[in-house]
Amino acid sequence: MRLRLSFDRPSRRDLVVFGGYCVASAIYIAIGVSVFDFLLSFWVAAAYLLVAAWLIPTLARRVG
Amino acid sequence: MSWAAHDLEPYAIQKHTKLKLAFVPLLIGSYAPDMMTKWFVYGIHLGPWELKASNPAQFHRGWPGFGFTHSLIYGLAIALIFWKVFDSKLWAVSFLVGQAAHAITDTGDTVGTMLLFPWTYHFHFGAWAYAGQTGRATDAAAYFSGLGSMWDLLFVVYGLWSWRVLTSAYFDNFIYRADAFWPWLNRWVPRAALIVLYRAAFFYGTSRWIAWTIWAHVIHHYPYDLSWGGPHWVHAAHP
Repeated sequence: MRLRLSFDRPSRRDLVVFGGYCVASAIYIAIGVSVFDFLLSFWVAAAYLLVAAWLIPTLARRVG
Repeated sequence: MSWAAHDLEPYAIQKHTKLKLAFVPLLIGSYAPDMMTKWFVYGIHLGPWELKASNPAQFHRGWPGFGFTHSLIYGLAIALIFWKVFDSKLWAVSFLVGQAAHAITDTGDTVGTMLLFPWTYHFHFGAWAYAGQTGRATDAAAYFSGLGSMWDLLFVVYGLWSWRVLTSAYFDNFIYRADAFWPWLNRWVPRAALIVLYRAAFFYGTSRWIAWTIWAHVIHHYPYDLSWGGPHWVHAAHP
């Protein structure tokens, strides 16, 4: 029996969503590297992600 | 101890287990063993007072101490509460699996865990140094310089490879439907925000893995030591 690794190709829309999270992650990392305590709490990360990946895009869509 | 694996493992477990699991108690189970203890391991300042365990490794993993939180019987006890008090077998099993994953993962370091408590033997592979007694910053530097960080990286890569577990379709078809918690929360929180919350632990684990690695190796230049039981530049605790 041969083990075969297969990779599902993401759609364009999947990549756009992923790109948004990458931007949010880059900002989170930049803050975390300079402010040590920012990395220590799951709740801080969850709140940050809610703002960055849901609240801001939702508000932007309403304004736009 | 592990830093990001406990955030990331629930996604892999949820995807592969044959059991019906609910994601939220699985994640709570994965965090549970450290919930009450980590702050006292590293210590906190309250005005002029510093609250810190005199022997952090003993307090965190040993007996006498809170080491029983990293045992299978502790997971079973909390699972029984979910089952008998809150009448949810799904949450009980999910918590049990998550908590067991944490306890087993932490056998990877030099202190290990008392998996079969009340038997106080520490099961340990000794793959990476336990350095909780050195304080949070040195512990982070040590962890992200040794094999522990590679263990975490495995789950980051695996999660990205299995990216479908993070999609909204997967959330709708498997996560939301499996657990009444999500429809309950959906009464106040929109679906799009629920998906963000579902992804939060993966985001947290992956992002802080990168951030700690940058902090340890780009800003502070701690040396990598991927040998067994390393890094050997830090004093590792043992049971």
